[in-house]
Amino acid sequence: MIGFGRKLLLGAALLGMAGGFAPRQAQAAPPDILIGAVYPLSGNAAPIGHDAQQALETEAAIINGHHDVPMLLGKGGGLPGLGGAHVKLIFADSQNNPQIAQSEAQRLITQDHVVAIIGSYTSATAVTISQICNRYRVPYISAENSAPSLSKQGLTWFFRPSPTDNDFTKAMFDFYAAIGKKTGRPVHSVAIIHENSVFGTDSARIQTAMAKAAGIKVLTDISYQASTPSLSVEAERLRAANADVVMPSSYTSDAILMVHAMHDAGYTPKAIMAQDAGFIDPAFIKAVGPLAEGVMSRSSFSIDAVKTRPAIPAVDALFKAHDNGKELNDLTAREVTALQVLADALNRAKSTKNTALRAALRTTDIPGAETIMPWVGIKFDKTGQNIEGNPVILQYQHGQWRTVFPFAVATAPAIWNVGK
Amino acid sequence: MATSPRPNAITRRRTRELVVGAALLVVLALLPLPIAGTYLRGLMVLTLLYAGLAQGWNILGGYCGQISLGHALYFGIGAYTSTLLYTRLGIPPTLGLFAGAALGALAALAVGWPCFRLSGHYYAIATLVVGLMVLLLVQNWGFVNAAMGITIPFRTESWVQLQFRVAVLPFYYVMLGYAAIAWIVAWVVEGSRWGYIWRAVKDDVAAARSLAVRVFPSKMAAAAISGAIVGAGGALYAQYVGFIDPDSVLGLSLSVLIALPAVVGGVGTLWGPLLGAAVLIPVQQLSVAWLGSSGNGVDLMIYGALIMGLALARPQGLVSLFGVRSQAGGEVVDDA
Repeated sequence: MIGFGRKLLLGAALLGMAGGFAPRQAQAAPPDILIGAVYPLSGNAAPIGHDAQQALETEAAIINGHHDVPMLLGKGGGLPGLGGAHVKLIFADSQNNPQIAQSEAQRLITQDHVVAIIGSYTSATAVTISQICNRYRVPYISAENSAPSLSKQGLTWFFRPSPTDNDFTKAMFDFYAAIGKKTGRPVHSVAIIHENSVFGTDSARIQTAMAKAAGIKVLTDISYQASTPSLSVEAERLRAANADVVMPSSYTSDAILMVHAMHDAGYTPKAIMAQDAGFIDPAFIKAVGPLAEGVMSRSSFSIDAVKTRPAIPAVDALFKAHDNGKELNDLTAREVTALQVLADALNRAKSTKNTALRAALRTTDIPGAETIMPWVGIKFDKTGQNIEGNPVILQYQHGQWRTVFPFAVATAPAIWNVGK
Repeated sequence: MATSPRPNAITRRRTRELVVGAALLVVLALLPLPIAGTYLRGLMVLTLLYAGLAQGWNILGGYCGQISLGHALYFGIGAYTSTLLYTRLGIPPTLGLFAGAALGALAALAVGWPCFRLSGHYYAIATLVVGLMVLLLVQNWGFVNAAMGITIPFRTESWVQLQFRVAVLPFYYVMLGYAAIAWIVAWVVEGSRWGYIWRAVKDDVAAARSLAVRVFPSKMAAAAISGAIVGAGGALYAQYVGFIDPDSVLGLSLSVLIALPAVVGGVGTLWGPLLGAAVLIPVQQLSVAWLGSSGNGVDLMIYGALIMGLALARPQGLVSLFGVRSQAGGEVVDDA
């Protein structure tokens, strides 16, 4: 038994070494720059991990190839600052498990010698990956983790171009204030409904606090078990509350169920302001059809902002080619941008040394127009949080998502029924 | 129980086990030294952790025959106890782990009190349901940060606080100590009066009772020891990973993972849990590493196929390859 265990480990060691050295012997010069990416590639979040993989590969193809996309590093041909070196992604499966995410990140760092890690969709896995990156002094680029606590861990190798849930919720209340002023029909009350895991709980907590600060009444706060078989009781409670705005934080199946349940209860909310997630999933639109009309959601991406972000159509077309014709969405657009930010830092650092790369990341200053995001730009504060990543409010109008806020980047006026 | 071997034969076997155990401990203590890779050392840390956990499960599920599908509960309680003591009160996890073990034992007693009245599959289902109930409660319990989990920040390199920046070796020895203690506990109880009572209870409850065995207290004792070992393991896991949330330390899949090495290695045997962990954990982690990036789930399929194959080829567990028979063969028949 001892012999067996030992053989297994020795075999594992040899194979592990083979795996670690293989990519190194490729190109003569310059060598590929290896970047790790940890996502849930199996389990219930696997579809999102799969899309992330395609989004990152799309951006890698833009950087390495010759697609001539009108944005930063969109010209292609590798990274000029590193002699035209190509970026190469190495993916690892977190199985959406914090422990596996940690050991996979550790493997990418110690065996594959990646220069940085991008991840990771869920916040639980982001915690362990960012911690391990910090210990090994390797930058972690958080593409779409939105839990505010992540940038408050005191980590010095953590960078997040994306807005946080705080920013997202603030955008909703900023919108209420602005539209109230504009139309003279302000929001007086909201009804919060959320699924009871991290995402929903945290979202509802921030919404409640911000409503209080804005002097808006929270008429009801309903928590339900995700993937519940029925939401009819909850729909009745929403109808009874009849708030100015219903604010759901839900995943896809619950979002579909909720909209149908409200319809069955004969209740048409004056406004729905969703915390992204299920409500922005194309599957939701497909399932509820015309009931989605007028639904609003926060987003960090607006696909219709082509006037101010000319790179969007080209990136979207390339992504479609990578991912079976899927349109870029809020998550995949942020993943594209995460790799763009990292590649820009590598390019300016002219080195793959960790300290040089971190110094370059810290001095990142990318104007929004050089990306596909509707943000003012990308500039990190001391905690590694982007301070120029303002979210937008989208509304589903006549069969498509339109940007309605901030008014400066809006592509359509909001349809606003509150107070009517 | 059939005719037992003569007492001196038993003593000789037990002495031999102890010698093999000591030799193995020395080998395992030296094993990581030539293996420099951090990842592989990390793999060995996890293997030892699960060897200890499965050893703990085996005391209740193996020797005593009370199949539990809710051991993540004791693991989670251990993890949360030591983590809360550390992050809120600054009590080092080297002490917190004893608190975690104590609460793990208490929780196992609390589950056992009503559930040991159930027999066979009903007991297994009851443990499953209790585990899921606690998972839901913790997911919504604000005091322990609900579903958001608790991060253990890295403060300083310290043995007392079980914090090591990048070195994996210290944790290897911590987990080796844990697995060794779990093994020694199993060795001691196996040869003790309790061990014989458990096996009698597992074989035939009615017969055991007719020999004046007090069945209920014996099950409670097994539950407490089992819960304590798994609770301590939870505390060590929390410190090793640096983050706990309800899904990862109280989930159903963890309950299965705790039981699986013992089941695959050999239920109710001294070496089964260790052997099972030595095979399953590396296969699981390495298949993720090698095949996980494809995103098509091949790693999980291979892992599942391996377990099915082992169950079909070696229903008595991997230890049967080495000619070790389960200490109490036969079906799990019980009654409270």
